[in-house]
This record gives sequence, C-alpha cells and structure tokens, in this order.
Amino acid sequence: MSALLLGLVLLPFGSAALSLLVGHRAEVAVKGLSVGASGLGLVLAGVVAVPQLGDAAATGQVYASTSAAGPPIELSMYVDQLSAVMLLLAHTVSFLVQVYSLGYLAADPRYPSYTALVALFTGAMTVVVTADDLWLLLVGWELMGACSYFLIAHHWELPEAREGAVKAFLMTRTADLGLLFAIILLGIRFDSYRISTIMAAISDGGFVRDELWLPAMLLGAAVIGKSAQFPLHTWLPDAMPGPTPISALIHAATMVAAGVFLVARTYPLFLSAPAALNLLAGVAALTMLLGALYALLSEDLKRVLAWSTVSQLAYMFGALAVGAYSAGILHLLAHGAFKALLFLAAGSVVHAVGSTSMSSMGGLREKLPDTFITMTVGFGALAGIAPLVGFFTKDAVIGASLDAATAGRLIWPWLAWVLFASTVLTALVTVAYCLRAWLRVFFGQVASSAEPAPTSEPAPPAEPVDEDQQPPVLVTEVHESPWAMRGPLYLLAVPTTVGGLAVAYPHLLLGSEREHHLLHPELAVVMTLLIASAAAVTIWAGRRSTGRATRRPFVPHPPVDRIYEVGLVRPVRRLALLVRAGDRDVIDAYAVGAGASARGLGWVLRLSQNGNVQGYLMVVVVGAAALAVAAGVMA
Amino acid sequence: MSVVEVLFLLLGLAALGSALLVVSTKNMVHAALWLVVTLASIAGIYLLLAAEFVAWVQVLIYVGAVVVLLLFALMLTRAPTGPQPDTTVARVLPAAAVAVLVAALLATTVVAGFTGVRLDLDGAVVGSAATTGETIFEKWVLPFEVLSVLLLAALVGAIVLSRLRTDDTEDRGRPREQRDAQEVRR
Amino acid sequence: MPLWWPLLLASLLFAIGVYGVLVRRNAVLVLMGVELMLNAVNINLVAFDAHLRDVLHGGQTFALFIIVIAAAEVGLALAIVLLVFRSHGHIDVDRLRGLADRDPPTEPSGGDGVTAHSALTGPGRTR
Repeated sequence: MSALLLGLVLLPFGSAALSLLVGHRAEVAVKGLSVGASGLGLVLAGVVAVPQLGDAAATGQVYASTSAAGPPIELSMYVDQLSAVMLLLAHTVSFLVQVYSLGYLAADPRYPSYTALVALFTGAMTVVVTADDLWLLLVGWELMGACSYFLIAHHWELPEAREGAVKAFLMTRTADLGLLFAIILLGIRFDSYRISTIMAAISDGGFVRDELWLPAMLLGAAVIGKSAQFPLHTWLPDAMPGPTPISALIHAATMVAAGVFLVARTYPLFLSAPAALNLLAGVAALTMLLGALYALLSEDLKRVLAWSTVSQLAYMFGALAVGAYSAGILHLLAHGAFKALLFLAAGSVVHAVGSTSMSSMGGLREKLPDTFITMTVGFGALAGIAPLVGFFTKDAVIGASLDAATAGRLIWPWLAWVLFASTVLTALVTVAYCLRAWLRVFFGQVASSAEPAPTSEPAPPAEPVDEDQQPPVLVTEVHESPWAMRGPLYLLAVPTTVGGLAVAYPHLLLGSEREHHLLHPELAVVMTLLIASAAAVTIWAGRRSTGRATRRPFVPHPPVDRIYEVGLVRPVRRLALLVRAGDRDVIDAYAVGAGASARGLGWVLRLSQNGNVQGYLMVVVVGAAALAVAAGVMA
Repeated sequence: MSVVEVLFLLLGLAALGSALLVVSTKNMVHAALWLVVTLASIAGIYLLLAAEFVAWVQVLIYVGAVVVLLLFALMLTRAPTGPQPDTTVARVLPAAAVAVLVAALLATTVVAGFTGVRLDLDGAVVGSAATTGETIFEKWVLPFEVLSVLLLAALVGAIVLSRLRTDDTEDRGRPREQRDAQEVRR
Repeated sequence: MPLWWPLLLASLLFAIGVYGVLVRRNAVLVLMGVELMLNAVNINLVAFDAHLRDVLHGGQTFALFIIVIAAAEVGLALAIVLLVFRSHGHIDVDRLRGLADRDPPTEPSGGDGVTAHSALTGPGRTR
C-alpha cells in the first residue's frame, strides 16, 4: 500500500521528466508516454483510493524525516476519505485531459513541454492531497502555482497570455505567504508539522473559541488567493489565454480545487476559529454573486466558464463556512465533473469555430451534435436542473446555509442570512447565464465569421484539410472534433448525469461518522420553481433583444484591478525607478568617485616615478636611515 | 701614541681625502686614479690590522684588476680625458645632506657603542697566507666552493650580456662592438 | 688604538660612497662609489676580526669573499654599462629614464626610454 502510494506520487514526476527528455525527438512516443502514464496513474489512484472510501480507517506512512532541531519535517503521506476522492477526481480529469489534448493540441509544436507540465501539475496536486506534512503540502502547493504559470503562458508569444500568467503567479504567490506563515505558527504552537497530529490535537478540544484565529485567517487568505475569491478573483478569468484543456485541469481538479481541499483538510482548525469562517462566509457571499454577474455579461465563452468557476467555488466555501463539510466536498466533486465537461466541450467548440468569442458562434446544434449533447448536460448541471448532479449538491449547499441562518451557531446569523440570500440569488443568475451561453452557442443564426472577433485564446490549428477531398468552404470548416476529444466528453457526462446518487448515499464516499444532511426536498421544489421562472425570464429577455443591437447593460465593476494598479503596481514601478536612479546616481557615484580618486592619486604618485634611479636610491637610503633611527629609539 | 696609531691616522686621512676626491673630481680618469690611492691606503690599514693576506689580495684584485677594468670601461665608453663641467647631477645638495645623515647616523652609533674599547694588536695572529689558507680550506670550504659557482655564474652572465644585440647597433659597426665585448669578457 | 677609529673611518668611507653613488652622472663613476662602500664594510670586518681574535678568522675570510664578489660585480656591471653605451651612445645615469611611468608613445619612434626598454628587456631580440 505504501509503495503504491509512493509510486502514485512519483509517477507523474517521472513521466514529466521523461517527456521533457524525449521531447521532439519522438513525438509519438511522448504522446503514448503521457497518456499511458496518466492512465496508469488513474489505475493506481483507483487502487489506492477506492479502499479508503466509506468507513475505512485512514492510512498514513512516513517515508523520511529530518532529525534537525525543532519539529521534524517529514516526507509523510496520509490518505483518508477526503484524499481518496480528491485523488480520484484529479487523476480522472488529468487522464481525460491528456487524452483530449491528443486531439486538441495535435499540431502544437510545444506539445512535449505541455504534456510534461500537465503531468507535473497532476503530480503536484497528488502531493498536496496526500501530504501529511505541512511543508510537503507547501511544496506541492507552490509547484502547482509554478505549473499554472507555465501552462497559462503556453502561447507566450501573445502579450495577454504572458500578462495573465504573471498576474496569476503574483496573486497566488502573494496569498501563499499566508500559508507559509500559518505553517510556521502551527509548527510553533503544536511542535509538529504533521497535519493529522495537529488536527487530532485540535479536535480533542482544549482550545478556547477563536484561540487559533491567526493561523486560520492566514490559511483563509492563502485559500482565497489560490481559489480566486474576492478580492483576488481577477486572475482566474485573465488566465483564459491558456489552452482550454488546461483551463479544465485548473478549474475542475487541481489548482482552485486545492484551495477548497486545504480548508477541508484543516477543517478542525477552522471549526475552532469561527472568525476565519466568518471571513470565508463573507468572501463567499460576495464572490458568488459577483462571479455570476460577470458571467452573465461576458462575451467570451471561456470567460463565462471562468467566472462561473469563481462563483461555484464560492458555493463550496459558503458550505464549508457554515459547517456543511460534506455538502462542500460533494459540490467540489460535482463541479469537478461538470466543469471539466464544460471546458472540454467549450474547447471542442473553439476547435471547430476558431474563436472563443460567442459572437462568432451560433447555430452549432446540427454541426456539433456530440458537443451539443454533452455541453447541454454540463450547462444543465451547472444551472442545477433537476436530475443532474449540480441540482443535488447546490441544493445541499443552499439548504446548509438556510440551516445556518435559522439555527446555526458557527457564524454570525446575519452573515448566514446574507449568505443564504446570495446563494439563492446566484442560483438564479447562474440559470440565466447558462441559458444565455447555451442559446448563443448552439441556437440562433449562424454567425458570419468574416469579422475577426476578439478572442481570448488563439485558435488551435484545425486539422489539416485534405486539399483533394474538399475545397475549404466556410461552412464545411465547422466540423465535429476528433474522437480523442469527444470521448472524454461522453465519459464526463456520465458522472454529471448520475452523480446525484452520491448525495443520496454520501457515507459511501465520505464515511458515516460525519453528519450528512444533504437532502432538502421542500427547498428543492422551491428552487426548481425559481429556476424555471428565471429561465423563462431569460428566454423572454433573449427574444426581446434579438433583432436589436445587443446593448451591454452597465454594471459597476468593483475597481479591484484598478485599486491594485493604483495602490500596488504604480508605487512599485515608481519605487523601481527611484531605486534605479539611486543606483545610477548614488551607488555608481561612489564607485566612479572611488575610481576617479584612485586615478588622481595615481597621477600624483606617478610624478615621482620619473625613472631616475638615483632619485629612487636616495629615497631608499633615507628610508633605511629612518628605519634605523626608529629601531634605535624604540630599543 | 704608538707608531701603529700614527700610521693608522695617516693612512686613514689619506683614504678619506682620496675618497672625497674620487667622488668629487671633475676628471673621470683622475677619479679612477684617486681610487687607486684610496684602495692602497685601505690595504695599508689591513696590514696594520694584522690582515696580511687580505691586504695583498686588496692590492692584487682591487688596485690591479678592478681599477684597470674601470679604466677600460671609461675608455670604451669614450669618456673625455679632460675636466668636465657636468660630472655630477643637479641634486648635489640633497645628496650631500643624505650622505651627511648616513655618516652622522653610523658614526654616532659606532662611537657611542665602542667608546673605551681598546683594539689590542700585540698578540694578534697575523692573517698570513698560511693561516688564511688553512682557515679557508679547513673551515670555510663550502662557502668557498659556493663562491666559485657564483663567479662562474657572473662569467656566464657577462658573456650573455655582451652578446646581446640591439637593432640600432648596425650603424655603429658590429665587428668593433664584438671585439669590445670580448675585451670586457677577458 | 681605540676600536672606534677604524669603525669611524669605515662609516665615513661608506657615507662618501653613498654620496658618490647619488651624485655621479657617469655610470662608471657610480660604480666607484659602490666600491668605496664595499671597502668600508671590509674595514669593519677586518677590524672586528682583530679585536675579537676570531679562531676561525671569519672577518678576514669574509673580507676576501667580499673582494671576490666585488670583482664579479664589477665585471657584470661593466658588461651592462657597455651594453647601455652601445644602445644609447652614452652612460649618463640620469638620462636613462626607461623606468619612468609615462603615457605610451603615440608614435613608435621614441626617445631613450623606448629604446632602452627594447634593448634591455628583449632576449627575444638576441640572435
């Protein structure tokens, strides 16, 4: 078991190194290697994780440990129900993304480095979810940040890709400082860096309420950055220039999910410090509505999905903030499934159309039948349509927040009410933007692709069109994707459709020792009615706006980026200018002055070097006499 | 005042006076000749100080060989024989001050250090050729051999230096220069 | 005879030799000053040999050695003087300024310093 676990962790790293090593010399080998390794990883993850589901006891293993002063830093793994489901999620999505990338990036010249980074990303996520040592977790955490930087900047010749990558890196790294300080604080407080030990100590009680508020707040800050919550939410939509499979990986299984995972992993700490839960609840309530509104207004298909990720992550944090652990985790899993499906389907659409702008799409229902079916399922799950998985998990979250508002003791009641109102409102807006995007992509008239629409991602090179077979006509360019891309869509559609069963039997996944209160039938009925009415309003509004020029409604954007620009970027730039000027005019002046004075002194001394040997000798004689006199005087 | 003391004073004064003339005369050949007087006086002083063999060696090598070499050098460098106005550099006064400083320093040291010490020459062993030979070849053989190696090295060095050719010697006639170099080597 | 008589004589001879080395312009005359200084040292050695009744006769032996070394030195020095005379046409010490720290000459044909430099440092020019 322990060897399997170690192999599971090391497999992606080995695959990444091998892919980089082989590189362009044998692209077919790289393709086989990456897909095979991720498939093997999925099998291994299944072998490791499935026995841990349900009521099984968690297993841990310490592979190595430092023996220096202070609490030991250990290479230790720990797999419980949470790690197990996260392992399954991450490796499933990773495997599907690798398969999908075979078609999506078939002609990409940077495929080897891309696939190596995907493998590395998966490995980092594996480290994070299985680490039992806080420092080991930090290593995986930061590795994910670095991988996301490289993958977002995959098309590094585009300025927006570079900017998005730098923005993502800076924002998440800034927030990661919180994790670093929290680790140090926890290490000092508990004299151990082992997560299971610390959490057991906290769960045993003996702590005053909010005694550990500082590390909990710091962890919350790190999570807010990693999972793109307000006020650090702007990096995620700006990360869209990366390839679409990467967006699926980041949004569904790894990067942003790691934030939710960290909260769940250190949940006893948060439960003992409701101040941090209040913070999370407030941030979540604000972020979910904000993200949904942005998604409603975005013209770019990938941005719609990115904003919806921000909004859905806020749902998970909201659930965790009110103490609904299993609701949050199940929503994370459900979201992983349907968001991966949505992104991969969106990639298929982009692959076909050659643009990510929704204005260049429309009427794709007939041309992309497989994509249409699967994406419809995905949108339905995101909107929370009755039999799909999103319906159950979102209903669980809303119900949990209602419980917290009426009878909860963890967070302030008024905040719980705000959260509840926000979840309901966001659910309605979610229906609206899902419906809008769905209609605009698959219905309506075919857009003329003559006008070059602004696009967030460069169109992947379409498959080489056989010149003899067909003349490249505009209509025939829109084609269904290859099976390497369609297969993962159907595979992901399965859990999206029937995943609701997990809500009915949550103890099969997460064990029965936790309290699951997930089904709220009367609330579900009310929500379904509300959703139906929201859909009706959306369709009505859509009908009204057709034929007219679409007028973008004005929504005041919280000037977050503007504040960052004015408050951080510009002062740093000015400081850099100042430092440069200081370096040039002060530091260099010292160096130049030292050189000039040495030269001047040398010029003076040079006058004595006139080549007259007798003059030199005179100086020598006088010096020797002076030395003799000095020696005599001192003796 | 004994005869030895009187002779010492006379010889010492002769040595000092001729040495002053060596460094101050305006005629270069005269300087070499005055150097002969100084060296001979010093040889006499050696005799007075019971160093017989050293005195003869002084006469042979210094008065004989070294002064002749110096005279050869003066002639080969075509030194003018008459009095010259510019045999000294312009810095006479500073140089004299330095010399006086050195003299004062050394004189003060030795006079203050050895006042009242008598040099008793009555029972002294005279450094004749026999005693000196015994001493050198019994007690000082190794330094003697080392010195012979030094002499050989000096000989080789002189040959190498005299065979150096510079580019601007063509217009002065090489055969003559080569002959000069051989003279020096001898 | 007081011991300080020969010692004083040696000191004065040495100072005269220093003066000669410092002021004489002709290199051969400078050599004469050096000879004076060497002889002054010899007087010291012989005087102390007589005073200390040295069994090894170290003073007289060293005086002999110094005479030999002086002879070798004069031979070498005269070779150098002749070389300088061949390359420069004169042996005036105060006009041999090849050791001076000057800016490098802009044209290859230089004065004394340049030719002395090329003559005295160039074993590569030997033939």
